[in-house]
Amino acid sequence: MIPTRMGVPSNITDNPLSVSWHDSAWIPILNTANVMDYFSERSNPFFDRTCNNEIVKMQRLNPDQLQNMVGLEYVLLHVQEPILYVIRKQHRHSHQQVTPLADYYIIAGVVYQAPDLASVLNSRLLSTVHHLQSAFEEASGFSRYHPSKGYSWDFKSQRGNTEKPKLKEEKPREEPSSLFQRQRVDMLLGELIKKFPLPMPPQAKTISAPIKTESENGTSENKEIKTEKHEKIKPPPEKKPRIT
Amino acid sequence: METKLKRYEKIEFLGEGQFATVYRARDIETDTIVAVKKIKIGSRIEAQDGINRTALREIKILQELNHRNLIGLLDVFGHVSNVSLVFDFMDTDLEVIIKDNTIILTPANIKSYMIQTLQGLEYLHLNWILHRDLKPNNLLVNAHGVLKIGDFGLAKSYGSPNRINTHQVVTRWYRAPELLFGARQYSTYIDMWAVGCILAELLLRVPFFPGESDLDQLTKIFQVFGNPTEENWPGLKSLSDYMEFKPFQPVPLKHIFTAAADDLLDVISKLLVLNPNQRLNCTDTLKMPYFSNKPPPTYGSKLPLPQSIRKLKEKEKPSLKRKLLESAEGGTLSKRLLFLMLHIDLQIIFLYISVMFHRNL
Repeated sequence: MIPTRMGVPSNITDNPLSVSWHDSAWIPILNTANVMDYFSERSNPFFDRTCNNEIVKMQRLNPDQLQNMVGLEYVLLHVQEPILYVIRKQHRHSHQQVTPLADYYIIAGVVYQAPDLASVLNSRLLSTVHHLQSAFEEASGFSRYHPSKGYSWDFKSQRGNTEKPKLKEEKPREEPSSLFQRQRVDMLLGELIKKFPLPMPPQAKTISAPIKTESENGTSENKEIKTEKHEKIKPPPEKKPRIT
Repeated sequence: METKLKRYEKIEFLGEGQFATVYRARDIETDTIVAVKKIKIGSRIEAQDGINRTALREIKILQELNHRNLIGLLDVFGHVSNVSLVFDFMDTDLEVIIKDNTIILTPANIKSYMIQTLQGLEYLHLNWILHRDLKPNNLLVNAHGVLKIGDFGLAKSYGSPNRINTHQVVTRWYRAPELLFGARQYSTYIDMWAVGCILAELLLRVPFFPGESDLDQLTKIFQVFGNPTEENWPGLKSLSDYMEFKPFQPVPLKHIFTAAADDLLDVISKLLVLNPNQRLNCTDTLKMPYFSNKPPPTYGSKLPLPQSIRKLKEKEKPSLKRKLLESAEGGTLSKRLLFLMLHIDLQIIFLYISVMFHRNL
């Protein structure tokens, strides 16, 4: 979802991590029994219709036959009624042996591909570097040089004044997340930190940090907003616990 | 002739058709299994015309042909007033395979069957012969996964421009639209339509156009492809049995063959074309990317066999296994006996010692 945010627009469609799919007619009736049918809708870009599931369906065979086939198949991996379903794409070598290829999650009826660790790290690093870079660019705009006084900061000149009010207007409109979401994510992060304590000595800092956070799944949206809020930029420390 | 009758030793009765009974037999000279088709004499009136026409066709045509994917006519012999044809023995046919729902027909299996069918048919067409009755039931498969086109009872040479043929050929479900419209002059493309229907049936595991009458057959065809017009099929309206049908919207093949790859859909769309002149022939079909793309066709011996044959094979094997098992069990039994006897012996010795001991006291 995130890596292409700042990338070239043309490859957005190629990257399965940057697309989502849903069919609003299905959403109200989704359940464990029909979620695989929903996933195998013809328009779902994540579904390879030459998979074994579709062969079994087309040939009107018993679904149990899937276990005897070799090749690509989809299985329902995890269900958390009524909102979350996880579907795994895997290559079956034999009755017992399978290799997972990708996971997809259906949350509130919308299908996403779960990103692999490399893409997550990549995107986090990229956004950190981007924020740092824009912070430097912003800061250098306010620096002044005078031959006699040397370097100084000037926040009162025209340039700074015109930009700031405009940004402030936008701010309330683009509230990154609701109070509920923030509290919930804080709780999740807290639990994660308890589970995997940080190896670094200054621990007090990290506990206070996750106050400004983003929701688990709405990341792409929130991140876009953040990039515009140039004046409030910090490298987000709350990401550290997630990576470790 | 007497010697020939003795050469083929009947093993079992296989089936009975309208014109013939078929037996499985052993060829004593070569020690191979063959199928012997004994043509029925029929009533006296039929016998007056001489030998049955379908048998004559099979003898006439098959004697000149020799291809891996065509049924081989090994021998013909007569006895009294009977005529018997000796064929390669084939274990099963595609109809049985398609209907056996314990079998999974993978894309590779389907490709293998298609290649074999088309190669056999290509040879047939290159020799100016139409099969005119292609259907899964006539595509015979042996235990080694070799497919052979069989039943040449309706086969006929083609190509004479002034020759009128009957349009009452091909089992209805596999009959091309031009035949249903009463065409009297037709060509290899009627066989290509049937091949397209067989391919569709391999994918769906049910007949693609199971028409209940000739009109219903055309309706089922147009429900998929839409109605033919004079534009996409010039000369359509001059066919003798042509009639207008209520209009249908064509359905994309993708929606019917949901699991078929695009290269395979291409093949179907080139075989099942309403206008016979736009259908591909065998040679060009075999050149389509589908046949050289992944996955490669399944190797013959890896092709699935119907349950009945699998069971037969399993029965043959375990007989040997059971023997081994029995002998092994016998071994353990004798050992156990030996141990038991030893045990008893020891007890007796112990008793003896104790008695002696007491006596000494």
